[in-house]
Amino acid sequence: MNEQDGLTGDGFTEHAPAQGWGPALIMEKARKVYPMADSEVVALDDADIVVEADEMVALVGPSGSGKTTLCSIAGGILSPTSGRVVVGGVDISTFGPKQLTRVRRELVGFVFQSVNLVPFLTARENLLVVDELGRRTGAPARRRADQLLEELGLADRAKNLPGQLSGGQRQRVAIGRALMNDPELVLFDEPTSALDTKLGMAVMELIRDEMKSRGIAAIVVTHDERITQFCDRSVHMEDGRVL
Amino acid sequence: MFLAWKEMRRAKARFGLLIAAVGLLVFLILFQQSLQNGLLTSFTGALRNQSAEVLVYRTDGRRILQASVISPDLTEMVGRDPSVAAVGRITQGTFTVTPLALGADAEPVETSVIGFELPDLGGPRFLTAGRVPENTEEAVASDADAAGGFAVGDVVRIEPGGKQLTIVGLARDAQLNVAPTLFVTYDTYRAALASRNPDAGAPLPNALGIRPAPGVTAGQAVAAINALSPELDALTRDDAAEQAPGVAQVRQSFRVIFLLYGFVVPLVTGLFFLIITFQKAPALTLLRAIGAPASRLVASLLIQVAIVLGGGLVAGVGLYAALARGRIGGVPLRFETTAVIVWVVLLSVGGLISALFSARRVLAIDPYSATTGAGVGR
Ligand SMILES: Nc1ncnc2c1ncn2[C@@H]1O[C@H](COP(=O)(O)OP(=O)(O)OP(=O)(O)O)[C@@H](O)[C@H]1O
Ligand SMILES: [Mg+2]
Repeated sequence: MNEQDGLTGDGFTEHAPAQGWGPALIMEKARKVYPMADSEVVALDDADIVVEADEMVALVGPSGSGKTTLCSIAGGILSPTSGRVVVGGVDISTFGPKQLTRVRRELVGFVFQSVNLVPFLTARENLLVVDELGRRTGAPARRRADQLLEELGLADRAKNLPGQLSGGQRQRVAIGRALMNDPELVLFDEPTSALDTKLGMAVMELIRDEMKSRGIAAIVVTHDERITQFCDRSVHMEDGRVL
Repeated sequence: MFLAWKEMRRAKARFGLLIAAVGLLVFLILFQQSLQNGLLTSFTGALRNQSAEVLVYRTDGRRILQASVISPDLTEMVGRDPSVAAVGRITQGTFTVTPLALGADAEPVETSVIGFELPDLGGPRFLTAGRVPENTEEAVASDADAAGGFAVGDVVRIEPGGKQLTIVGLARDAQLNVAPTLFVTYDTYRAALASRNPDAGAPLPNALGIRPAPGVTAGQAVAAINALSPELDALTRDDAAEQAPGVAQVRQSFRVIFLLYGFVVPLVTGLFFLIITFQKAPALTLLRAIGAPASRLVASLLIQVAIVLGGGLVAGVGLYAALARGRIGGVPLRFETTAVIVWVVLLSVGGLISALFSARRVLAIDPYSATTGAGVGR
C-alpha cells in the first residue's frame, strides 16, 4: 500500500505520533490563490491556525471568507499555494495527489455540507466502505461499524439505504463514516445547515460527545453562533484571513 | 469488488436489462454468422467438398459449373500438361427428381446432379454415411437433404424419364445452388440424361477435376493450366467455392451487418457506463474525497464492465447454442465454435475499450467538488 501511494519510509507512517500527542493541525502562512483571467482570487490569505489533539474549534465567518478552503487544505483535498500544513504530525505541504489521497483515507474524517453518503450503499456499508478503500481489515471493521451505528442510535437503520433515512439520520451516518478510520482530525463543514434548529442542536451534541469521548480534534464550520457553544473556542475568518 | 458488486445488486433491473441487451446482440451476431455460413454452404458446399483439389472451368462459363462446357481438345490439352497427374471429367445439371420415400405422389424437387468420372476427382469428399456409388443405379446425396427423401436406402426418380436411383451414401455439406444434390458416376449421369431425352448424346464435361503431378502444389497446377490457354479457368476447390458468382456479394452484405453489430455492442456498453458514471458522479466525488484511490474506482468500473460483457456473452452464446440448429428456408444452421471464439474476443476487447471513456471521467473527478456540494465533475 505504501509503495502504491508513493509514500516511502519518509512518509507519515513513521512520523505519525500517537493520538493525543502534539497538535492535530498546524497551519503556518497557508495561502491559496486561484489565478483568474486578469486577476487572482486569494481564497486563503496566509492563514495561521493550530488545533490541539483533543480540541474542538468552531470556524466562523461570512460566506466566501475561506472556511471551506481552509478545511479542504487541512484535510488534504486541496494543496496550498504556499505555506506549511501539518496534520497529525505529518507535514503534507508538498504532498502530491496520491499521497493526499492517503492522508484523506487515514488521517482525516470529513462531514461535508451536502453529499455525504453513497446512495447505493446501506448505512452500514457507507461506514464499511472506508475500510474497503483502505486497509481491508474485515471483521474488526465490521465490529467498529456496528459499534458506531449503535452509539449514533442507528443500530436499527443499519440496513437502510440513504434514501430511506431522514436528514438527521443521514447526518449521523456521515458522522459515523468520518470516525471509521479513527482519524486525527475531523472536519465538519456546516454539519447542521440542512437540519432544523432542534435537530441541529441534537446533532451538535452528538458530535461533541463522540469527539470528546475519543479525544479527537475537530473543526466545525458554521454560520450559526449557537453552534459555537458546543466548541472549545471559535476562530473567525474574513476575506481569507484568520482573525 | 465491494463497490462494483453492491451497486449492481442495488440496480438489478438496470444492469439486468443491459446484460439482456448485450446477450441479444451477441445472439443476433452469432445467428447471422451461422446464417451466412449455412447460406454459402448450401450455395457452393458441393464445390468445396468435392474430391478434386483443382477444378478447371471454361473461361466463358464465368465460374458457373453448368454454364461451362469443356471441349475434348481442351481436356486433352490439360491432360498433357506435366503439372497434371490425372484428369477426371465432371458434369453437372439440374434435374427434376421425385423423392419416392415421401410417397409415390411426392412433390418433385429441382435437384443438382453432379456426375464424376473418377471418385477422387469430383466425387464427394466427406461421407457421413454409406459409400460412393458403384453402378448406374446408385447415388450419394447431400446430408442436409436426408430427411427430405434422400436418406441412405431411399429411392428417387428422375423426371420425366423415370430412371430410379438408390441413395447409398450421404456427403457432408455438399449442396449446390441451395438444392438437394446428388453425386453419381459419369455413366449414371449420361443414363439420367438419356432417360429424360433419348436423343441426347454423350454429355461434354462442364469442368475437369485435376490431380496435380507428384511434387506439384494445387497452386502451381492452377498457374500452369491457366497458362495453357485463355479459354481455361483453373481454380483450387476453395477458390472455386469462394469465387462462384454471388458469394462475394453475400459476404460483403454480411460484413456490413457484422460491422454494424460489432460497433453497436461496445457503443451500448460504453454509453451505458458513461451515463451511470455521470449519474453517480456525486458519489464518486465523495469517495475520492474520503480517500478512495482513483485506480480503485476505475477497477470497480472495469469489474462491472467485465460482469456485464461476460453475462451478455454467456447469455448470447447460450441462446445461440439453443437455437442455432435445424434450418430456416432450406439453409441449414449450425453452432460455429470459431465464430463464437472470435466474437467473444472481439466484443470483450471492444467493450473494454469503450469503457475507457468512462474510466477517463472517473480519473478526471476532482475530490474538491465534494466540498462545494456541486459534486458533479465538469
Ligand atoms: N475553484 C475556485 N476558483 C476560484 N475561486 C474560488 C474557487 N473556490 C473558491 N473560490 C473563492 O475562494 C473564496 C473562499 O471560498 P470558500 O468556499 O472557502 O468560502 P466559505 O467561507 O466556505 O464560504 P461559504 O460560507 O459560502 O461556504 C471565495 O471568494 C470563492 O469564490
Ligand atoms: Mg463553504
